[in-house]
Amino acid sequence: MTKNRPKRFKNADRAGHSPSPRPRRVTLPVAAGLVFAGLFLIRFGLAQTDEHRVGAQRFGEYCAACHGIDGKGGDKAASLAMTLSAMTRSDAELEQIVRNGTAEGMPPFAQIGDANIQAVVHYLRKLKGDADAAPVTGDVHAGRALFFGKAGCAACHKIGGDGEFIASDLTEYSRSHGAREITEAIRNPDNPVPRASQVATVTTRDGKTLTGILRYEDNFSLALESEDGRYHLLSKNDVRRLEYAGHSLMPRDYSERLSAAELNDIVSFLVVAGRSAEIDTSPPH
Amino acid sequence: MLFVAGACVTAGLAQTVLQTPRKAPAETPGLIDVTERDLVASPVKDDWVSYNGDYTGRRFSSLTQITPANVGRLTAQWVFHPRTVSPLEVTPVVVAGVMFVTSANDAYALDAQTGKVLWRHARPITRGLVDDAAMHHNRGVAVLRTRVYMETDNAHLLCLDARSGGMIWDVAYATGNHNYGATSAPLIVKDMVLVGTSGGVDGVRGFLAAFDAQTGKERWRFWTIPAPGEKGSDSWPMDMYLHGGGTTWMPGTYDPNLNTLYWGTGNPSPDYDGSVRPGDDLYTSCLLALDPDTGKLKWYFQFTPHNLFDYDGVETPVLVDANFQGKPRKLIVIANRNGFLYILDRVSGQFLFAKQFAQRQTWARGIDNEGRPIPSGLIPDEKGVEICPGEGGATNWYSPSYDPAMHLFFFRSLDACAIFQSKTEPFEEGRNWYATGTRATEQGGHGYINAFDLNTLTFSWRNAQIGPYKGWGGVMSTATGLVIYGDDAENFVVLDGRTGKALWHFNVGQIVHASPMSYAIGGKEYFAVAAGSDIFAFALP
Repeated sequence: MTKNRPKRFKNADRAGHSPSPRPRRVTLPVAAGLVFAGLFLIRFGLAQTDEHRVGAQRFGEYCAACHGIDGKGGDKAASLAMTLSAMTRSDAELEQIVRNGTAEGMPPFAQIGDANIQAVVHYLRKLKGDADAAPVTGDVHAGRALFFGKAGCAACHKIGGDGEFIASDLTEYSRSHGAREITEAIRNPDNPVPRASQVATVTTRDGKTLTGILRYEDNFSLALESEDGRYHLLSKNDVRRLEYAGHSLMPRDYSERLSAAELNDIVSFLVVAGRSAEIDTSPPH
Repeated sequence: MLFVAGACVTAGLAQTVLQTPRKAPAETPGLIDVTERDLVASPVKDDWVSYNGDYTGRRFSSLTQITPANVGRLTAQWVFHPRTVSPLEVTPVVVAGVMFVTSANDAYALDAQTGKVLWRHARPITRGLVDDAAMHHNRGVAVLRTRVYMETDNAHLLCLDARSGGMIWDVAYATGNHNYGATSAPLIVKDMVLVGTSGGVDGVRGFLAAFDAQTGKERWRFWTIPAPGEKGSDSWPMDMYLHGGGTTWMPGTYDPNLNTLYWGTGNPSPDYDGSVRPGDDLYTSCLLALDPDTGKLKWYFQFTPHNLFDYDGVETPVLVDANFQGKPRKLIVIANRNGFLYILDRVSGQFLFAKQFAQRQTWARGIDNEGRPIPSGLIPDEKGVEICPGEGGATNWYSPSYDPAMHLFFFRSLDACAIFQSKTEPFEEGRNWYATGTRATEQGGHGYINAFDLNTLTFSWRNAQIGPYKGWGGVMSTATGLVIYGDDAENFVVLDGRTGKALWHFNVGQIVHASPMSYAIGGKEYFAVAAGSDIFAFALP
């Protein structure tokens, strides 16, 4: 009998924090249509080969209306958060998704022809390769220590199964965000405020005041999650006032609190964590 | 066809099992923190904390807002469409107003009042799987403290943060055979997460495994197919024990007072060819009683020895405390896929009673005094033999329910036969191991919702299902005498449990392939069910 242990990151114990179980393999989305969306990551400034240009053009013509001109998604299709599972698919599978659409509502694009479908998929492969090749210049282990220590990131974020819950899981973050983008997101975190991360204060009709993260809101109801993890699930009929703070819970003074080298260490840690994040989508063996 | 052990379950029922109060959700609205005490509590009230609602498997709610008098005003509250798989087989779990559902390998937390998504944990489906796992069925989550647990199609156990969906750990718990998969909801017992696998018709070796809920480390593993030299190994020559099936693909039940787990096992592999697995094929098609601390077997009861007909024994073993032969007894009531309803003593495993409920049943001449079937001699062959029930069983994994006030045991049944064909084929990874298969008969099948009276040991009523589909909807019941289920014509239905008469229905437009549940928020009672590719919730206006 093979005893299976929880998956851990490589070098999990080196940063001196508690080595509780961590997934070596991390989350990936399942939905085929949403999956495909993530492929359309466009990193600006890349060399444009003819094939690359054709793929980008076809994406602009057929895909950007739903997936966004930058591939980061929109109201109709998935954002970069959905990128990774697409990258695990073969070219043939991706081409099939484009050709046939998905049960989730992505329409078929067989009509654009095999050559254009292949150009788009090839283009996306190249983009991913460039992203993976980005150099890491900081001290990854120091970055880990900062993440779980002085910088306080783990008080809100999870990475590799460790950390807290109120902010987003950063395990895969670097798979869809480059080092420069991550640095900027730490220095200037609320530009813009992510939709499911904004802080709001609700005053209820019976006089209670609640502050937390606005997990969802529509014309009729909202969900506010306070820092203790409690969900406040409210009908708008019970809300007297809703105030948007205009920011997330992310500290806005990391430029002052951390040196440039420390910031680079944290970014390097995030980049490496994302690269080693891998999900087991193979049958048992 | 009928064996009655000279005994009778009488009306003056003992107290219901596990009468333990649960903390009032009003104390902790929106705060997910499920304790061991919450899981042991019974009967089910506002929260539905596990697959069957509580450890008894009764799928019985003590909520009383919705009654036979007002159920006619029941209306749809919301629909949630997870978009990844159809049909859904999940039973939602609700804690403090937050609903947890799965769809394939995705988990969602929803606002149970609106169906709006609070978080989603997305994970790709696995390609290259076999049989049920290849359809990515998933029956839901288990919750302990602030953590949510689920199985994936490729038999990983995931531990997620219930407050965010962030993954905490991931354990691949089935190895050594490509054909393993998982479709069940895990069960929490004490500080452990219990999981099984699918693949029983695909030549895997079944097991039940317990993992530390905090760390994900394995505590114990009970193999349902004995290794060479162990009791029962004479059915498994050479390396056959590695491929004997007996998988544990539905959640079991648990009696904390007896410190005993009750878990059903599936059919043997190869499914229809018994020539390569002589004897009884232990511990396939069984009910296992296990010590949850060690995984050691206390006793077992085999419903279908040397099963040749795909009659898994994984139907919910429902824990009932009742008077039997004039004295209070701790019972298990189970309607088995082989067409017989059984009553066992759950302390000793003693067989007490069996009654045939399949109206067409030809594989056995009856059940003997020890509870062992008397085979009719029908054996699948290369040409094909008509045998009843068919491979879908006279009932199946969809939930039964027990109403302790009316002493009625409710369950769905199917009267159908099939032509069973078989010839010896080698095991091969990457394909199923039915060796060979079945085809439908011209007569088709007829579904029923049944109410079996534990006082009289007879059926109080049978509600015939009319519709174009073969129903796969389980049942639940409430303290106001309601029976709730999805019918054979895409309707979600509420019956009067006393009479079987329909009181209300709603066309969900998709066949229900799952078992319903109930919950309450702020005194408002809901019913929820997965229908086709959607989750529906209903309540009074």
